[in-house]
Amino acid sequence: MLVIRIWNYFRGYVIIKIEGLTLEKFINLAIAKGIYLWDIVRYDYTTLEAKVGIKGFKELRDVVKKVGCRVSIVEKKGYPFLVHKLRYRKMLAFGFVIALAIVIFLTSFIWSIDVINNEKIEDEYIIDYLQSLGIKPGILKYNIDTQELKRMLLTDLDVISYAHVEIKGTKLIVDIKEREKIIKKIKENVPCHIVAKKKAVIQKVIAKNGKSVVEKGDIVKKGQILISGIIEDPKLENPLLVHSEGTIYGKTWYKLEIREPIYKIIKNETGRIYKSREIKIGNKKIQMMEGDIPFNNYIKKTKEKNILKWGDMKLPTKILIHEYREVEVERVKQNVDSLKQQTTVKGVQQIMDKLPKNARVVSKDVEFSIEDNTLITKINIGVIEEIGIKQKINYSRED
Amino acid sequence: MSKKVEEVKESLSEMLELPKDIVLDLPKITMIGNLQIYIENHKGIIEYNKQRIRINTNNGLLRIIGKNLSIRTIVTEEIIIAGEIESVEFDT
Repeated sequence: MLVIRIWNYFRGYVIIKIEGLTLEKFINLAIAKGIYLWDIVRYDYTTLEAKVGIKGFKELRDVVKKVGCRVSIVEKKGYPFLVHKLRYRKMLAFGFVIALAIVIFLTSFIWSIDVINNEKIEDEYIIDYLQSLGIKPGILKYNIDTQELKRMLLTDLDVISYAHVEIKGTKLIVDIKEREKIIKKIKENVPCHIVAKKKAVIQKVIAKNGKSVVEKGDIVKKGQILISGIIEDPKLENPLLVHSEGTIYGKTWYKLEIREPIYKIIKNETGRIYKSREIKIGNKKIQMMEGDIPFNNYIKKTKEKNILKWGDMKLPTKILIHEYREVEVERVKQNVDSLKQQTTVKGVQQIMDKLPKNARVVSKDVEFSIEDNTLITKINIGVIEEIGIKQKINYSRED
Repeated sequence: MSKKVEEVKESLSEMLELPKDIVLDLPKITMIGNLQIYIENHKGIIEYNKQRIRINTNNGLLRIIGKNLSIRTIVTEEIIIAGEIESVEFDT
């Protein structure tokens, strides 16, 4: 039935009112002529309302003459009449076309670039690279060759191992996978220094190759040369460049500060709940309900519901349901001694997790202080670890 | 004479199991509860108002009585009537 209705809508039909005495005869004659009438309703003895197609309505004229009744149009419905009406409202049709053109025009640009699945690499890094290729928000999306772009990303940026570029609507999505960090090993024939990884106090220097420039007890900064690969000798005209080799142990410190309130706030739900709803369109929010939250202390929970979506397409229309749960607040003073123990254990554990594998713990310092009802625990762990790292020599002769 | 022809036709359709509405040119009436009635092979309407519709068929007059009756569709072969149907009778 729906199909027929749509069909009728596209063909166009009129609702007519027939007034006369022998209306049955009118119907019979109309059928005999092959005019399709539907939804015939009799209002009273002399009036009848029916629907008839445009073509049928023209043919009805002969029937009307024969029967001798009056026919008037109540309503014109359907697509042909709509078009006819639009012909007299050219500006409306024009506006519609313009709007459509604007939509098509605006959707043919890239408006945002999304970088996904990157962990360490910053979005800006990729975006800056794309910009250097001339890809930035505001360019025509038909100018982007995703395959080519993918290939270029992979060849030009060696920090990524996989790239996928996709255009979704007005968004350019760059899906990348980072390459596992490879520590470039310096080949044995390349001259190098050994430098400090971090600030430390030198404990032991074992230099197998190269000239050690630090001694036990020296305080070194990050990046300071420990074993030099440049050996200068008055006998030699040019300094000798060697590949340094050796192990340096240094004492380093790991610090951690933990702040823990002495008074703990416990929230107990009372079971009373107040809900309010909001409609969110884009970034604009419309409050649906008025009134203040009837509780002094509460926990707020917000749920989001997407409305209006068709498959993958989502309109940025959301319903936010705020749920306010009333709570009773209780301040409980905690035992300072046990708190001290707890924070110490926690802090030490946190530091231990960070330590490199071959580090040896040599000292542990824990300081406590109380400030504004908070217990501040300062933990300082000293370890001995290897601090040397090889660095290529960027040597240029100063003549 | 015509009565004899009718009888032959009927027995023939009985024998060959042919559908009677085609062979005998009789109306085929289908009802959906009391909401809709569907009449195939009619010969025009005689009377039409909200309470009563009378339709001419080869089998005589078909009278439909009910409330708020309206003709949904009407073409040369079939009529669909909707409304609250109370009774369907043949006046022969």
